[in-house]
Amino acid sequence: MLEALLQGLVAVLQWNALSFMLIGVVVGFWVGLLPGLGGATTLALLLPFVYNMAPVQAFAFLLGMHSVTATTGDITSILFGIPGEGTTAASILDGHAMAKKGEAGRALGASLMSSLIGALVGALALALAIPVVRPLVLTFGSPELFMVAILGIASIASLSGRGPRGMVRGFLAGCLGLFFSAVGSDPQAANLRYTFGTLYLWEGLGLVPVLVGFFAIPEIVDLAVRGTSIAGKASVGRISGVLEGVKDVFRHFWLTIRCSLVGTWIGVLPGLGGAVAQWMAYAHAVQSAKDATDRERFGKGDVRGVIGPGAANNSKEGGDLIPTVAFGVPGSSSMAILLGGFFLVGLVPGPDMLTKHLSVTFSMVWTIILANIITVAASFAFLNRLAGLTAIRASLLIPFLLLLVFLGAYTNNNNIGDLVVMLSFGMLGYFMVRYRWPRAPLVLGLVLGDIAERYLWISTARYGTSWLGRPAVLILIFLTVLAAASPFIQERRSRRKEALRAA
Amino acid sequence: MANSVNAGVRAYVTIVKSWNVGGVEKMRVERMRRVTAFLLAGLLLILLTPAYAQQPTFAGKTLTIVVGYAPGGGYDRMARMVAKYLPKYLAGNPTVIVQNMPGANSIIAANHVYNVAKRDGLTIGAFNRNLVLGQLVKVEGMRFDMTNFAWIGSTSNETTILAIRSDLPYRTVADLVKADPALFIGATGPGANTYDFPLLLRAFLKLNLKIISGYPSSSDIMLAIERKELDGRAGSYSSIKPFIDRGLVRPIMRARASVPAIARLPVDEDLAPTETAKAVMALRSVPEVIGRPFVAPPGTPPELVRALREAFERVTKDREFLAEAAAAGFDIEFVNGDEALKITLEVLTAPPGVVRIFQQFFKFE
Repeated sequence: MLEALLQGLVAVLQWNALSFMLIGVVVGFWVGLLPGLGGATTLALLLPFVYNMAPVQAFAFLLGMHSVTATTGDITSILFGIPGEGTTAASILDGHAMAKKGEAGRALGASLMSSLIGALVGALALALAIPVVRPLVLTFGSPELFMVAILGIASIASLSGRGPRGMVRGFLAGCLGLFFSAVGSDPQAANLRYTFGTLYLWEGLGLVPVLVGFFAIPEIVDLAVRGTSIAGKASVGRISGVLEGVKDVFRHFWLTIRCSLVGTWIGVLPGLGGAVAQWMAYAHAVQSAKDATDRERFGKGDVRGVIGPGAANNSKEGGDLIPTVAFGVPGSSSMAILLGGFFLVGLVPGPDMLTKHLSVTFSMVWTIILANIITVAASFAFLNRLAGLTAIRASLLIPFLLLLVFLGAYTNNNNIGDLVVMLSFGMLGYFMVRYRWPRAPLVLGLVLGDIAERYLWISTARYGTSWLGRPAVLILIFLTVLAAASPFIQERRSRRKEALRAA
Repeated sequence: MANSVNAGVRAYVTIVKSWNVGGVEKMRVERMRRVTAFLLAGLLLILLTPAYAQQPTFAGKTLTIVVGYAPGGGYDRMARMVAKYLPKYLAGNPTVIVQNMPGANSIIAANHVYNVAKRDGLTIGAFNRNLVLGQLVKVEGMRFDMTNFAWIGSTSNETTILAIRSDLPYRTVADLVKADPALFIGATGPGANTYDFPLLLRAFLKLNLKIISGYPSSSDIMLAIERKELDGRAGSYSSIKPFIDRGLVRPIMRARASVPAIARLPVDEDLAPTETAKAVMALRSVPEVIGRPFVAPPGTPPELVRALREAFERVTKDREFLAEAAAAGFDIEFVNGDEALKITLEVLTAPPGVVRIFQQFFKFE
């Protein structure tokens, strides 16, 4: 095993594999920065090029590209409030809030460092999971997947505001998200729901136009109204800010590790999709706040809200690869495309990858590690320049941002409907921000609604009600209760502290 | 065309006659006349050849293959491979690009190619094979008639098989009829072969199956089989093959479209108890023979369609293309445009009684 580990490293460091990886990293860097153009689509576009490559080169190229998109996607999210990738929208909530306070450098530093640690944890998990991968993946059946979705939905409680009013608003926003997830043809019987006679809505609301509109439009309106730069009057932090962000990650080191593990775990479970991990990690970061007053800092530029999703959306990569490599079952839509890459270079994913081709598998681990180290190092070199973008005047920045927003949304389906969806959700987002309704619960509902519906149906059709008694399901039910109760526990702690202070 | 040739000849005769002067000049004039005749004949040849012998040229142009799905799926990957090899066989070696227009199971893309795309031979559509069934059951929103497209052909067929877990004691169709308890068969949803094929097997051949639908993709079904949540699935042979090779599942039966490796499996239609059952099964299966259809907009000039058809056929015979397709897990079974159109017509002229029964099972979405 150790021998294969080293063989994998040596194979990746060969000049041709390394140069393919560098090309991949450069492509991935830009794909991440540009909203709309996602890692999965780019993988599909690059696939035809690997036909004549050796396996290690092909994966260095493809994974090198894909594993850095989440890292640079965070940059766009933090600087402009436009999700660079569908998987990096959660970073906006606190990351962009920090940028508006003039702390873009710190947010970027924290995001990049947590991305790197996340990638390392994910890669390590992939390496360590190899001997135990079968039981790990196989214990999670449809009932467990359903409960994971419910666990995520229960986290809405934490993402809502304080007090009964905040709770009700969060709950309603979550319901609205679940309702939006129902648009399109339903997963079991293919009945059309809320499509209003349009063909565009058959496949539901596209996540990219929704997220781009929902988060970016309110920010752009806000920027136009203020008329200043993104950072406003706050002075944009210099290099010290970036270092501060890096230090933040180590200050909250265990949070970083925990969120990385959340990301890896969501990645390992196939069928949950790429967008879920960041939100679960964000929710976890909020839940680990000490008390209710501490929790209130989230959404207003708390660095922990950057670290959580930053770590998770990168650690997901290693997790995603586990079922892909071990069973030939892709953990996400990107991995489904990567699976095509396996066949093109003459490999059959499955048990062979853990024995005969173990060194290829390890070369993937190394690719993820090296590609992320290179990207993070390169990004650090530009960070001050990037943070400087938040000091640009609104009138110069807005046309450019609008271009990114429209292009980003339109690349989803190349359909005018994408723009309508983007603008509608932009308006909804604007009013939610204006009247202080939390946006995160809505996104969580939208992302998890479809998963919950599918697996509830499948579990019941397959097992009747007996699935409720499965041990893993019981554990998840317990966690769900805990997640739903966490804001109340935090509230009590807060009150106790105040009582102590008063006494 | 004949008129212009006559006019050309007449002009030539007039010009030459005008030079017909007598005396000393005669010899020189005679020589000039011959040279002129030669030059003019050459000019005429150049002017007239494109219309007669030469293929229409695509030099400097860009052909677009409009795919009805997002990048990465089977339709998209096949279109990208065709796009890679097509320039080699088209006069003028044009650039061929793929444009993804996903949505509504490729109805949006088909509407576009039928109604909006120019009829200049520079647009090709690659759509869902089941669009013709959608037209048969009159799905709303379809603004095209499949028989009016200028059919180019299909690169491969869709070979649907039913496979069950190898550790189960059942080996034949008869075993599955007697199976107790019912086998759990995973499916994505109506309109996909993972769902429709076992549905008809249960209804007409009385196989004891319980269909669990709603899995996000066929690979999720495969994983559910691996963890014994499911007992089997239907789906395309090419996607199940790796798992057959690995010994996880064993194939039991297949539908009409086939490749040599599975030709010996029992075919659903052959086991049908009644003529109607057989006809309904056939309706579901027939489009699978044209598994990866490629069409041009209706009204594309015939000589352009001919050029596209020839190039397309030669791509499917190209050795490099075949090698790459094999590596990507595609079996190439070429069907030409005329045959594809014939099959399309066959589906659309099915007897109303059969269509009525078919409609109870089939949903295009």
